[in-house]
Amino acid sequence: MTMRVRGAALVLTAGFFVAAAAETAATRAADIELGRYLSSECVTCHGAAKAHDTIPNIYGISETTFAEVVKAYRDKSLANPVMQNIAGRLSDDDIAALAAYFATAERQQ
Amino acid sequence: MTDMTRRNFSRLAGASLATLSTSLFAPAVLGQGKPRLVVIGGGPGGATVARYVAKESAGAVDVTLIEPLKQFTTCFFSNLYVGGFRDYNSITHGYDKMQKSGVKMVHAMAAGIDRGKREVTLADGSKVGYDRLVVAPGIDIKFDSVPGYSEAAAEVMPHAWKPGAQTQLLVKKLNALEDGDLIVMVAPPNPYRCPPGPYERVSMFAHVLKTKGHTKSKIIVLDPKPTFSKQGVFMEGWEKHYPGVIEWQDPKVHGGIKGVNPATGEVITDFATYKARLVNVIPAQMAGKIARDAGLTNQSGFCPIDAVSMKSTVDPNIFVTGDASIAGDMPKSAFAANSQAKVAAMTIRAELTKSRAFPARYANTCWSLIAPDDDIKVGAAYEPGDGKIKQTSGFVSQRGESADLRKQNYKESVDWYNGIVADVFG
Ligand SMILES: Cc1cc2nc3c(=O)[nH]c(=O)nc-3n(C[C@H](O)[C@H](O)[C@H](O)COP(=O)(O)OP(=O)(O)OC[C@H]3O[C@@H](n4cnc5c(N)ncnc54)[C@H](O)[C@@H]3O)c2cc1C
Ligand code: HEC
Repeated sequence: MTMRVRGAALVLTAGFFVAAAAETAATRAADIELGRYLSSECVTCHGAAKAHDTIPNIYGISETTFAEVVKAYRDKSLANPVMQNIAGRLSDDDIAALAAYFATAERQQ
Repeated sequence: MTDMTRRNFSRLAGASLATLSTSLFAPAVLGQGKPRLVVIGGGPGGATVARYVAKESAGAVDVTLIEPLKQFTTCFFSNLYVGGFRDYNSITHGYDKMQKSGVKMVHAMAAGIDRGKREVTLADGSKVGYDRLVVAPGIDIKFDSVPGYSEAAAEVMPHAWKPGAQTQLLVKKLNALEDGDLIVMVAPPNPYRCPPGPYERVSMFAHVLKTKGHTKSKIIVLDPKPTFSKQGVFMEGWEKHYPGVIEWQDPKVHGGIKGVNPATGEVITDFATYKARLVNVIPAQMAGKIARDAGLTNQSGFCPIDAVSMKSTVDPNIFVTGDASIAGDMPKSAFAANSQAKVAAMTIRAELTKSRAFPARYANTCWSLIAPDDDIKVGAAYEPGDGKIKQTSGFVSQRGESADLRKQNYKESVDWYNGIVADVFG
């Protein structure tokens, strides 16, 4: 599988993060309907993306990885100001909802 | 993460999503007939609402989009067409996929709105009734804001601030210039669509001159504003790529723009008269006529809205999205129009089908190309606050950034363009 996730290295080196996130996802059901609403902001940029575009495809990423990457933009350990700004206002619940939505959703276009 | 875990996971979650999609997303229809949404204007502000309400309500709302154009040429990326980075076809899009999204297209001009009867009258006199109406006609040009300028004058001194023939005329004139010819841009006063747009356009003019080897030509920008969007980074870029070519004059320098003379090609300021082969006049702007005629505008010429929903503060059955609205701290951009449209669509669905409502959130990012692979950006997040749409965070490109970063910005802008066009037109 070739999926490019910028945060992948970061997630690997911080394994405990993954464990913590998995636990959250398991103990709290994500609000997929909220995720679907919030996703409408993301598709403006990501909607037509292919895996190797500068704005990458974000459909079909595992929930855990997705959440870790978005949180890494939120805490600015990943650098892109566009994504830092987008992620900056997402709560943990928002991120879980988005992760659950994008992990499974069909592309809209 | 292995292939296996990812596939297993998708299967599981896919099942629960399928169950959800029938229970949660299926709307409860009010009353007997289907509720009717009518949208005036098929730009990013209007077409996005139409598509989102149609696809998210899965047929429970009757959605009609009224737009005279069969082919929509985007203003966004039209500067890249001016600079020779895109061809005209690549910024022109049809509405053929709207039907598939469940939107009924009516290719006509809306001539009037009867707010009492909740009816839109089309140019041919026929009427379309609505339960909710979205008014998204974009801007009209205030021709008389620049003395001597008029709709007829625009055939000689194009504004090219509405897409289509005007943009093509501008490009034709640009390509006909000879070395030593002068270009003058009369920049617009606030508020206008696309704050960095005039300065990106000037960059594209300079790029074309440079490509053609015109070393004696100059570009003068006469600005009614003392400052402009992304000014520091634009000016740094102009100095780097086009030294001595672009002269930007603020009101202190030109003393005031007195007018234009389309017959002679002259632009007159308090201190000087310039005779130019290409004059690009970008006048002041106001909401499209249909919005003004329906009484949806205030003294500013634009439409006040409620920041939590994009609903007109004048009429609870009407929403105004895009450039025609007064969107607080948000700029008039396609990105902003598309973002506002999603809040309107969510609210309209909640009102018409009792679907779940969520708090309004808005966002914007605008990229501007200065030279090949040198692209800058500005962006922000917004939420309702202090009775308007209020900026909550933001960023802007800085001076001295690496060439790699600027090149990545350019690639982002191209990906964004593909994304938003697919989002708006299907
Ligand atoms: C040179 C330039 C560069 C730009 N670059 C960018 C950029 O890089 N990024 C960005 O985000 N934005 C950019 N913009 C801004 C962007 O183009 C606008 O903000 C955006 O198009 C606004 O969308 P809208 O739907 O409100 O209006 P419009 O796009 O103008 O659409 C309005 C539609 O309504 C229709 N209409 C009007 N009246 C009626 C009526 N009575 N009945 C039926 N239909 C009607 C019109 O035909 C039109 O199709 C740029 C603009 C310019 C001029
Ligand atoms: C304005 C455009 C824009 C919007 C809107 C946007 N993104 Fe992004 N996104 C980007 C860019 C650009 C990148 C690449 C950033 C980088 O280089 O690190 C990115 C990267 C990502 C990644 C990393 C993917 C990978 O494979 O590395 C995720 C996950 C992501 N975005 C999620 C989201 C979510 C969720 C939203 C909506 C809440 C969103 N994005 C909205 C532009 C955008």
